[in-house]
Amino acid sequence: GGWMAAPPASAAAEQVVVKMATLVPEGSSWHLILQQTAEKWKTISGGRVIVRLYPGGVAGDDADVVRKMRLGTLNAALLTAIGVGDIDSAVFALGVPMMYSSYDEVDHVLDKMRPTLEAKLEAKGFIALNWVDGGWTHFFAQKPVAVPDDLKALKLYISAGDSRTEEVYKGAGFHPVPLPATEISTALQTGLVSALQVPPQVAVITQYYNHAKYMTDVNWLLLLGATVIDKKTWEKIPADIRPALLEAARDAGRRLRAEVRQGGDSAVEAMKKRGLTVVPVDAHGKELWRRTAESIYPRIRGPIVPADAFDEALRYRDEFRKRGVSPSRP
Amino acid sequence: MVAALALATLVPLVEMLGRPLGGFHIPGSALFVQQLTLWLAFLGGVAAARQGKHLTLSTAELFAEGLARRLARLLAFSVAAAVVAVLAYASAMLVATNRLEGKVLPGGIPEWVSELVMPLALAAIALRFAWGAGRGWRGRAAALGAIGAAFGLGLLATHAGALVWPCALLIVAAALLGAPLFVAMGGLALLLFFADGTPVAAVSAEIYRLIASPTLPAIPLLTAAGYVLAESGASSRLVRFFNALFGWMPGGIAVMVAAVCALFTTFTGGSGVTIIALGGLVYPMLRKDGYPEGFSLGLVTAAGSLGLLFPPSLPVVLYSVVASSSQKLSVPAESLYLAGLLPGLLLVVLVALYGIRIGKKIHAQGRQRFSWREVGRAGWAAKWELLLPVFVIVLFASGVASMVETAAAACAYAVVVECLITRDISIRRQLPGVVLRAAALMGAVLIMLSVAMGLTGYLVEAQIPERLLAWVTLHIHSPIVFLLALNGLLLVLGSVLEIYSAIIILAPLIAPIGLAFGIDPVHLGVIFLANLELGFLFPPVGLNLFLSSSRFGIPLPRLYRHVVPFLLILALGVLLITYIPAMSLGVLRLLGK
Ligand code: NA
Ligand code: NA
Repeated sequence: GGWMAAPPASAAAEQVVVKMATLVPEGSSWHLILQQTAEKWKTISGGRVIVRLYPGGVAGDDADVVRKMRLGTLNAALLTAIGVGDIDSAVFALGVPMMYSSYDEVDHVLDKMRPTLEAKLEAKGFIALNWVDGGWTHFFAQKPVAVPDDLKALKLYISAGDSRTEEVYKGAGFHPVPLPATEISTALQTGLVSALQVPPQVAVITQYYNHAKYMTDVNWLLLLGATVIDKKTWEKIPADIRPALLEAARDAGRRLRAEVRQGGDSAVEAMKKRGLTVVPVDAHGKELWRRTAESIYPRIRGPIVPADAFDEALRYRDEFRKRGVSPSRP
Repeated sequence: MVAALALATLVPLVEMLGRPLGGFHIPGSALFVQQLTLWLAFLGGVAAARQGKHLTLSTAELFAEGLARRLARLLAFSVAAAVVAVLAYASAMLVATNRLEGKVLPGGIPEWVSELVMPLALAAIALRFAWGAGRGWRGRAAALGAIGAAFGLGLLATHAGALVWPCALLIVAAALLGAPLFVAMGGLALLLFFADGTPVAAVSAEIYRLIASPTLPAIPLLTAAGYVLAESGASSRLVRFFNALFGWMPGGIAVMVAAVCALFTTFTGGSGVTIIALGGLVYPMLRKDGYPEGFSLGLVTAAGSLGLLFPPSLPVVLYSVVASSSQKLSVPAESLYLAGLLPGLLLVVLVALYGIRIGKKIHAQGRQRFSWREVGRAGWAAKWELLLPVFVIVLFASGVASMVETAAAACAYAVVVECLITRDISIRRQLPGVVLRAAALMGAVLIMLSVAMGLTGYLVEAQIPERLLAWVTLHIHSPIVFLLALNGLLLVLGSVLEIYSAIIILAPLIAPIGLAFGIDPVHLGVIFLANLELGFLFPPVGLNLFLSSSRFGIPLPRLYRHVVPFLLILALGVLLITYIPAMSLGVLRLLGK
């Protein structure tokens, strides 16, 4: 095709190259799983589907990657909720701070909401291949943060982009600094940023903890993610092999998820050996964090998470909590 | 233009001053400053096209006036017009896509409306290039034809692959004949993506990663500050002060020249402005003091890029922005400045020592007496300019301000000092002109930077950096050999490319390789920049050689002879900087960074 437009769908026999980007660091166990899945896709399709991986944010952060998928210069991505939310913000309902207290709770809500979420993504031209998570985010800071007021004295990294997220954090009394994810370590070194929230495993791989040595022992939110592929590219793949590819992707999703959920504690132990201090938070402290989070729900519901998605997630969570105390749970 | 720059200065300043005053802030200020930078980049690009200030290869200077030069210009500008027209189309696609995101700037303006500046400015630049292709209508019509041909190529679905090589050769030829470098890089990026079957909007998509860089807005701000200082009476005040300080000792005038040029380059960013602004002032002083013509010319030419490493020099910030754009690397400008203090000083001292040696040999005439009174008076007269680097170091090293806020403060400082205190520049009559000239440079640098991101984007897609890394690590095993090869490479390329282009093109490729060899990214940055200082002097096409040759009316071959001793001295300095990392990293360790 010419440069005026994306090339037209090629004949079924032709090779489909899927350029897939992710922030997942190169050489990490997550990257390995992606490479293995790419190999599987090649085998399943008999060499007709080739996945080219761009790990470690070389193609930009999530916002860049989604933009490039829309332009047709990338075809697929393993995104964090920030990127998925750029496509459709309903997914943010699963990343509301302190809304969920266990993996089971989030899993239940995601299972219930998944058909709607996937339909919404598809309407915008993206197919969700799997849902994964990166674990609970914790605050990593350059000074001990035990209660919300401690964090208010620091400069908190938030993902660059929409000014609405910035306003939510500002409204809660924090000092958010919006930056691209690729700039975090520089910003920690120069003091442009003095706190951020990431899952422990991400802090290990990226070594952010070298510049933010205090981790707060509160599960702030679950960093959800998803692998998405551009619908046009997906439909270029012969229909008869799509189910097998989808199953391979789902399997990768399960492995990624297991990897994260098993590895969280060992990540913290590894960082402790290299100078990380875990700041304990007692029951009263946890209550303060929960109250702070809940105080910003009105600013989140509507401006950030569509009101219907927010209410739906809350309903499923409460449904799970009620059922959770009853012995009838499967 | 002036208003955009004023806002870009004021917003970070308000943020900086508001923080200690109870956390006052402007909502969404970071996004706002980003958009202002985008405007400054593209309107500046139009200004650069009008003033003929886009960065080019120095090879075009080798053409004589006449028919050959006219034909060269016709080809170069036709290609430029065609490439920029396609870039305008690509960024229009980008804006259309961003419209889908529906992001809104503080104040309720949709982001895409503000971004329309990209396609519109690029279209204006394309037309400007077409206009400049010839003096008559025939040349201009040919350029318009080239635009049409480029779009025609875009419609070709088949046989496109066969056209890639001829087009690439045409673009390279155009660059050698004087088309702006950003055209060559943009043209190659467009072509490579086209050959790959990827929509060419890929090139403009990379612009986004650039404007999201938190350090980027420092570039236009520091450029403006530099122009204000360069066009004020700062140069003569600094010459007087350093003359009072060093003029009494043997070789004192030579020491004065090295010191003044170094300080002045920190303001002007080492793109040759120093030679133009100071050369005429200090060259006669050297000659009057009895220095031979050859030494004097060599010194003025060589000193024209000393001081590149000191704050608030622009190339340091540019290196930081470019090298940090990868997730693997972080090279804070603040750390680079601190690490560059000793190496920068070493280069100045080496040149000064050589000056003293020559001075002693010729028993330089007319040595003046040292007078504390004159030092005091001259120092007092130049106090504002002397304090600027100190002011800048204190601001960022204390953590009071981010790099952008520091740059905004430096810009405001320069304007207040030169327009209100010393009154060298009239705000109403002269300042707008100064800003417009500065805008041309910032536009030239930023447009090239954004287009280079597009080319880097292709290289990443084609996994070139990984392959290059694999190739280098296969053939080179020791970090010492790698550094030696790097010294040689930068010497040669640094002479063909002008400093901003050299950083933009080479840093993204070299920084990851340095990391793989275990070289501290900040140390590598210092080596890189120090090495480029040397490249400017490297015959046959080092930039300082051209500037000096045209400023003093000396034929190039004669100048080559005169710069040799300085080349050797600075090479010694660069080798010391390269192989004694403690010189760079010691200061950082002392400060616990
Ligand atoms: Na940076
Ligand atoms: Na970085």
